[in-house]
Amino acid sequence: MFKEFISQKKMETASRIPDFTRIKTGVNEKKARGRKKAQRAPEVPEDVYRKCSFCGKPILNRDVRDNLYRCPKCGGYFRVHARRRVELIADKGSFEEFDRDMPIVNPLDFPGYEDKLKLMQEKTGLSEAVITGRCTIGGEAAVLCVMDNRFIMSSMGQVVGEKLTRAIERSDEERLPLIIYCASGGARMQEGIVSLMQMTKTSQAIKRHRDKGLLYISVLTNPTMGGVTASFAMLGDVILAEPKALIGFAGPRVIEQTIGEKLPEGFQHSEFLLDHGFVDIIAGREEQKELIAELIRAHDMEKGRKSFKAFLKDNGAMGPRTFLGEGDGQRDDTLTEAEEASERRELSKLKEDGSSEGDLHQSGGRSGLSAWDRVKLSRAKDRPRAMDYVDRLFDGFIELHGDRRFGDDPAIAGGVALFHGLPVTVIAQQKGKDTKDNLRHNFGMPKPEGYRKALRLMKEAEAFGRPVICFVDTPGAYPGISSEERGQGEAIAECIAEMACLKVPAASVIISEGGSGGALAMASANEIYMLENATYSILSPEGFASILYKDPGKAREASEIMRITAEDLKKLGIIDAIIPEPEGLCEENLNVPVAAMEERLMDFISRSMDKSGDEIERERFERFRSF
Amino acid sequence: MFEKVLVANRGEIAVRVIRALREMGIASVAVYSEADRDSLHVMLADEAICIGPAASSDSYLNMEAVISAAVASKAQAIHPGYGFLSENEKFASLCETCGIKFIGPSSQVIARMGNKSEAKNTMIKAGVPVVPGSREPIYSPKEAKRIAKKTGYPVMIKAALGGGGKGMRVAESEDRLEEMFLAAQFETRKAFGDDTMYIERYVKDPRHIEVQILADSHGNVIHLGERDCSIQRRHQKVLEESPCENISPALRSKLGRTAVKAAKAVGYENAGTIEFLLEPNGKFYFMEMNTRVQVEHPVTELVSGVDIIKEQIRIAAGEKLSFTQKDIRLSGHAIECRINAESPERGFMPSPGTITNLHFPGGNGIRIDTHVYQGYKLPPYYDSMIAKLIAYGKDRDEAVRKLRSALGETIIDGIDTNIDFAYELIKSPAFEKGHIDTGFIEKHFPKYLKK
Repeated sequence: MFKEFISQKKMETASRIPDFTRIKTGVNEKKARGRKKAQRAPEVPEDVYRKCSFCGKPILNRDVRDNLYRCPKCGGYFRVHARRRVELIADKGSFEEFDRDMPIVNPLDFPGYEDKLKLMQEKTGLSEAVITGRCTIGGEAAVLCVMDNRFIMSSMGQVVGEKLTRAIERSDEERLPLIIYCASGGARMQEGIVSLMQMTKTSQAIKRHRDKGLLYISVLTNPTMGGVTASFAMLGDVILAEPKALIGFAGPRVIEQTIGEKLPEGFQHSEFLLDHGFVDIIAGREEQKELIAELIRAHDMEKGRKSFKAFLKDNGAMGPRTFLGEGDGQRDDTLTEAEEASERRELSKLKEDGSSEGDLHQSGGRSGLSAWDRVKLSRAKDRPRAMDYVDRLFDGFIELHGDRRFGDDPAIAGGVALFHGLPVTVIAQQKGKDTKDNLRHNFGMPKPEGYRKALRLMKEAEAFGRPVICFVDTPGAYPGISSEERGQGEAIAECIAEMACLKVPAASVIISEGGSGGALAMASANEIYMLENATYSILSPEGFASILYKDPGKAREASEIMRITAEDLKKLGIIDAIIPEPEGLCEENLNVPVAAMEERLMDFISRSMDKSGDEIERERFERFRSF
Repeated sequence: MFEKVLVANRGEIAVRVIRALREMGIASVAVYSEADRDSLHVMLADEAICIGPAASSDSYLNMEAVISAAVASKAQAIHPGYGFLSENEKFASLCETCGIKFIGPSSQVIARMGNKSEAKNTMIKAGVPVVPGSREPIYSPKEAKRIAKKTGYPVMIKAALGGGGKGMRVAESEDRLEEMFLAAQFETRKAFGDDTMYIERYVKDPRHIEVQILADSHGNVIHLGERDCSIQRRHQKVLEESPCENISPALRSKLGRTAVKAAKAVGYENAGTIEFLLEPNGKFYFMEMNTRVQVEHPVTELVSGVDIIKEQIRIAAGEKLSFTQKDIRLSGHAIECRINAESPERGFMPSPGTITNLHFPGGNGIRIDTHVYQGYKLPPYYDSMIAKLIAYGKDRDEAVRKLRSALGETIIDGIDTNIDFAYELIKSPAFEKGHIDTGFIEKHFPKYLKK
């Protein structure tokens, strides 16, 4: 074994040093000493090592077990026995299995099928290709189903479909979240058309589960193919995938034979699906348990409401404090600063109410900044980005990816998080902090898949009753050929229409640039707040000037009459509140606007909490109906 | 006895083990990386097998390759030397499953002593003193005070996640404790986002004392006296000597007895070292156990007359120790100086290259353990130690004089070495008087600690 790793070298004596041959222990010398028979020759027992099927290196079986069944050398993911998988995910001793011994069936009387099943049962120690049951995961109760592809490739016959369906129905009855670890070659050939029917049987059960407002997390493992991909596997509210798992409908060999081409590297791998918008998160085995538990918590509105209310009760009078400062005494100062700023704001508002229109057009206000100054400030390179606010305002943000249609747009980040214990959906337009970062985020200009992702996440929020908080920071939707090909207009339109009619509270914060329809798609909210130096407009002053004056150079002039500043927009009733900014807004003094935002959001959510969905929708409807 | 043993190491220790094997009439198998083709251990061994590319992780640390070499050469045992796989519990257990004797303790013992907290707990149970302190995490000055009352002052306040001196404070007395505790906790919260603290007695001006023990598979355990390895630069030992200067015979025998007790407590087999921190007042505490042969084993060999490497091999072959504690007579004084290919002027940066001119001293009482020769090209991939110069005299004074003279005679050209640095340390009055502790270089030669 491992001969390839060593090469025996005949002694070569370097010319510059003496020959040591005469002092070497010769074989004859040993024999002459009359030693007893040679001891047992060393050997490597068979079960100690295996060869990694990914990197080909020899690996200790013990290391594989200790490394969550991954190659300790290349990190490749091996298949996991369903029972081991349950041990990895369920809290110790919490798993209660359902339908452990459901009898096998042979609906087509397929010759030799029963024998094959019995053989598989003996080989795997499983009664069929899936284990179902109830357990707790990180303390959260759930129904857990795990498929095992050592059992006839975990293909979906009647028993697999039945066990899954019953487990889904149990989760409905007990109102528990459902977790399915998918792994399958697809349909069970020996069961023919009856196997095909399992796709509808399981899918309709998932649909009912979903209609009851219950969470379903699907975890795709290597491989998940065919009829399983085309049914329950892809129906998860959240879809996780293990790294480099093969996931697809048609198998790669079938595709290659059909199209007569070689498939590219990584085709149908988890990463490919993530790029194409079909997977929310690629999760390594070491993080899956905690991630699933966090996702369950982020979908538990009942518990969330309780902790939010408890927080309000304890801290309501004191106002927002938790996210302020690092506990080093700055917090009191900053609060005062924020308060002062809002006081000044009130004062200047009073002044403005009595001031002339001419003054307003200058929109200098107390700080003497012109609209053009603010345009420049809002575009400043070092201005804090959406994720800076998200990190400070919320706990445990979990980013979910993809529009489930075409791709994942890095110009928009969305996911679930906790706001003082209350699950919320956060959707943020993202700009970068440097050129490389900006290229990745496309300078904050979303494509249709970005809006479709936002829409998907909003609809998810609605299904689970979570408030939606949007952060707007975009020069506009991305104007490009591909955007139009994929229906930029349609994507924005759907997003506006659906957001406007959400039955959950929605608030938007315009943090820097609010560019036209691209911004509005994420700002058709119940309440809209705006940072003091942010802008929100029909289009950029440059665009406005080139249309109206046929001269983009007159952008400065344009900006002064477009009414794009927070103050102007507050007057027009476009926005509901201005978030004061300290001078030279940056990450160091970010807690000033964050505190104000936190206060606004707490107030908004506590006001909306006890309203019905229809009421929330009506209020939003009327807000926009009035324009 | 074994007929063939594989040496899973390189450098001077591989040479040392191969020589011992030859003296015992045992065939030796050297393993080497592609960068070590011209290394002395390769030429001296009866067989040599290349086990991979230069990087240690691909060669000397590559368990599969080493095991394969042993299987292919039919070696019955593996001597791991020090470093590399010598304290790797997984490797030892792999040897066990493949029917190869690992020359060292069992994999379980390696695992137990490799885990700091488990090692400490084992020692506490065996009645070996350890630095008193909190084994539970503490979060408030009140708890800290309660613990400090038990351990006695001064106390060291340490952050669980601390490192690089961050989140570390020493409180000399109770009235400073709260302030120091809060300062350390504040620092660690800022740096690591965690405020878990531990408290233990602060051992002031300690000496690093270690006791060499030998234990056979029949339950016999003896010790070969102590070594003083206090002179360290950034936790790297520079000079080591035996016996330890300025300690009473009573303390010496107590140290030895305690070490034997510790080794028995863990069911130790083969050669090992118990490290203690020794306070100036004579109190000592268990630090850790090294489950392998040490670099500085020659000083013990010189004062005890025992060949530690040969004993290791005999013990591994299942033989009984041929002597008892009473037979061990320690006499004279030995000092070892490590010679490294490094440049003290450039922050002790390693200095690989070709040795163009080489002269080592000899004569009465001088021992050189090395793997370098004139024309040898030092590869840059491994430890920078190139030689150990050991001087033996009837007393410390004589040993120091011999060492100084020998260092003065040593010529190594083509690369930078620490010879002048070592010479400077040895001729300092503090060293001559034996006034040494782990802060020696910091106190007397702070210029060598600057970055």
